[in-house]
Amino acid sequence: MKQNKFLKIFFTLTFFFIIAGNSYSFDLEKKVVKTKLENGLTVLMLERHISPTVSLYIRHRVGAVDEVAGASGAAHLLEHMMFKGTTTIGTKNYAAEKNILEAIEKTGNALDKEKRKGEKADSQQILKLKVKLKQLQTKHQKYFLPNAIDRLYTENGGLDLNASTGQDVTTYQVSLPSNKIELWARIESDRLMNPVFREFYTERDVVMEERRQRVETDPHGKLYEQFLNTAYKVHPYGRPILGWTQDMMYLSPASVKNIFKKYKAPESIVIAVVGDINPPETLKLIKRYFGGIPAGKIKTAVIPEEPGQAEERRVAVNFDANPMLLIGYHKPTAPAYDDYVLDVLETILTKGRTSRLYNLLVTEMGIAKSVSTSNGTPGTRYPNLFIISAEPRFPHTNAQLEEVILSEIEKIKTQPVSAAELAKAKNHLRMGYIKSLDSNSEIASILSYYEVLLGDYKYFANYLNVIDQVSINDLQNAVKLYFHKDNRTVAELNIKKKD
Amino acid sequence: MKRIINILCLKLVFLLFILFSAPVFSAAAGSNLPVPDKLIYPPLQFNLPDAERLVLENGIVLYILEDHELPLVTINALIKTGTMYDPLGKEGVAELTTYVMKTGGTQKLSSTEIDNQFDFIAASPSLTANLDSAQVNFSFLNKDIDQGLELLSQILITPAFEQNKFDLAKGLKNEELRRLKDDPQKLAVREFNRIIYRDNSRGRFASRQSLKNIEREDLIKFHGQFFQPQNFMFAITGDITREEAVNKISRYFGSWKSDRNSISPSLPPQNSNNGLFYINKEIPQSTIISGQLSPGKNHPDFYAFTVLDFIVGSGGFPSRIFSAVRNNEGLAYSAGSFYRARYDHGVFAAYAFTKTESTFQTLSLINSVLDNVQSGTITANEIEWAKKSINNGFIFSFTSPEQIAWQQMKREYDMLPPDFLSTYRNKIESMKVDDLNKIAAKYLNIKNNSTLILGDTKKFGQSLTNIGQPVLIIPED
Repeated sequence: MKQNKFLKIFFTLTFFFIIAGNSYSFDLEKKVVKTKLENGLTVLMLERHISPTVSLYIRHRVGAVDEVAGASGAAHLLEHMMFKGTTTIGTKNYAAEKNILEAIEKTGNALDKEKRKGEKADSQQILKLKVKLKQLQTKHQKYFLPNAIDRLYTENGGLDLNASTGQDVTTYQVSLPSNKIELWARIESDRLMNPVFREFYTERDVVMEERRQRVETDPHGKLYEQFLNTAYKVHPYGRPILGWTQDMMYLSPASVKNIFKKYKAPESIVIAVVGDINPPETLKLIKRYFGGIPAGKIKTAVIPEEPGQAEERRVAVNFDANPMLLIGYHKPTAPAYDDYVLDVLETILTKGRTSRLYNLLVTEMGIAKSVSTSNGTPGTRYPNLFIISAEPRFPHTNAQLEEVILSEIEKIKTQPVSAAELAKAKNHLRMGYIKSLDSNSEIASILSYYEVLLGDYKYFANYLNVIDQVSINDLQNAVKLYFHKDNRTVAELNIKKKD
Repeated sequence: MKRIINILCLKLVFLLFILFSAPVFSAAAGSNLPVPDKLIYPPLQFNLPDAERLVLENGIVLYILEDHELPLVTINALIKTGTMYDPLGKEGVAELTTYVMKTGGTQKLSSTEIDNQFDFIAASPSLTANLDSAQVNFSFLNKDIDQGLELLSQILITPAFEQNKFDLAKGLKNEELRRLKDDPQKLAVREFNRIIYRDNSRGRFASRQSLKNIEREDLIKFHGQFFQPQNFMFAITGDITREEAVNKISRYFGSWKSDRNSISPSLPPQNSNNGLFYINKEIPQSTIISGQLSPGKNHPDFYAFTVLDFIVGSGGFPSRIFSAVRNNEGLAYSAGSFYRARYDHGVFAAYAFTKTESTFQTLSLINSVLDNVQSGTITANEIEWAKKSINNGFIFSFTSPEQIAWQQMKREYDMLPPDFLSTYRNKIESMKVDDLNKIAAKYLNIKNNSTLILGDTKKFGQSLTNIGQPVLIIPED
């Protein structure tokens, strides 16, 4: 769900470059200092002295798509486990702790193994193992200091300490007063090299609650999950980032460690530091702490391609909630030319009150509460989807919205969009970009995201030249090529009738 | 000026890094890592930046802060009004008024022309009604300043409230209310506020029934009553000089004459309504919110309560509720407390979202944390952690000119003393264990809490004996 935001940033960024050379003197390329450490880790730095603060992003080119079948949710659980400390942060006596942690893992594995037997499970054995696990967990509590990483950051003024797991990328971020970058370097390099996965089984329960919160009780979360699972039959984009319940229940420490191995390859790590810094000194610090990570490349498992869709797919989710509609079309990802074209289309269709679908469905016909589009869901590493989502206004229905939306799409195939519409779309994208340059964390987010996914943040400069060429014909051709019935997936949220 | 100070400071920063850090740590050998708590940091230079304040003849207050990094001008405004001034039985008027001011055309331009003009400059103001204010947020390119301000002044001063746009707005609001029940957290928060603010104008919310009672004339009346120059504060920041800002605001808003007196403020709410309340929804996770009224920003206990709330549940992982509910027991992904301080009162509540089966286990865990804190168990270590966290993070409220001007304008809007921002950190710093324990004893008695649980009530199991019989609420649409 985070990907949409990136996409918006992505396109606005490219548009910025058009005006950067001409009207404004904000030239990102000249301001960003990019360095590759000897072990392959990439560092991007940008000075901004608006306030004595700094935003720090670490992104790994590892995400939910890198999970093996049956272990969905492992990448996300790992992200949670990364907050549990290291061999030197959060421990009173690591040597003693280590033995207990091993016993906890052994007992937890045995318990899971027994539980997996379902009806054939030995309930006595389960009870025995549960008691043993609880005893070990209680014993372990004497040897460690919980929440040490969070406490260190927070009391030093850390803001927005967070992490996120996507299909393609995992991110660790924080903002700090600019005199405290060393604290970040100390913690982050240590948790990359010497993490300790404490409180594993309790955290697994927390993640189950996260799933209840985001999916089981959220009709939109549930619809989105079923939609992607229908649009992707083979490729892992069809799996939820949080994981399937039946996988999550039994995620093992081994499955999490398996993902962690991929984290450690510096080739797949990008650091972005934006704010009140002196780049040469900051770089020295980063080298000192991160330079010792051994070089190495990830062995990426072969991820199966999604075969071309041959006929329309539909799925319905019944829930005690008002209706909602999702329509998606498969399309190529960046840097394919058509990906740029569809970004312009996204803006023309739903950006602003006078955009085509908003104006028609919400203002003129009054049949929708909302309508929006997103090009590039659910990720950027592999071919993705262009999605249109809409909520009908009672007593109107999903079916009515679908009919109007599809006929508007047909219209673009026969009647080209106007030059004024194209110009307006470009104004919107440009404005969005400039706004995104107003905060350290947003800039750090953008730079690191595109560097880690596309291999070079400057890609945007080139990308911009391409998008500048996007013509009315391109829009029409792209709609003809991708927006046809056989390539379409439709998901509907329907009201579940109460008995 | 600010910039120069920072640059000088930076030189010092990195010099110190080298002096202090290098000797204690070499290469990346794990055993040689410095202890994080003992890292030595260079001093941080932070002077609270100041926006300039002036008042136009018609009473409009103006804050200005220049910043030429980006070609953007931002105008934020606070207007003395709010949903708490909705006429009785016509809840929703404030929100509809702000919405249709923006979308319903002006005396000079039709709604379609307004939409087209905003979209062409790719800028559009957000105009929203909150509980005790209305707010404008508007950014545009500096080249579009005249067009942007012309449009903004028209929608603020001479909105037309076109009938068909009023009907559309009402229809959309109606749909929003239908859909509120789909979101358990939103629904729970609204109903919790209704309980906390019972018998006060803040506890009334738009419903499908109240919308039926609203006519276009109600919006015109509400606009005339509150959208008067003396109720406006503007903060204008970004790529504009001080002189230009004054000239432009005077040009577009200076001739706006007031024809009403100021509004009398609504009475602050009183604690009255404790007990256990249920909302039934057949979902596998319960939303628990439990709390009561607390000191406002103008109250002497504000600082102590801020630190207390941080320790109890808003300070992230190490805070007490988060640790107990999430870390130790794995009962929730989201758990903690919030303290919403307004100028004349505050609301404090603890919350958690947990699976149906563990609803009461979680509630009693929260209650035991609150009981424990109330009995005077705050430690010196906890206070140190909370004070350092709050004060070290203070600079993040001032990371852009827009934020800086906003903070100063909000300070005045909330009628806080002029030195509120400059003395804030010292006041937080002065809090002692005794102060906190006194405040905890005074404000955290769970017997005064109103507790709302939204979830599959039939599957909750036996209610806790010490919190009384639940009252089932059926939320109105």
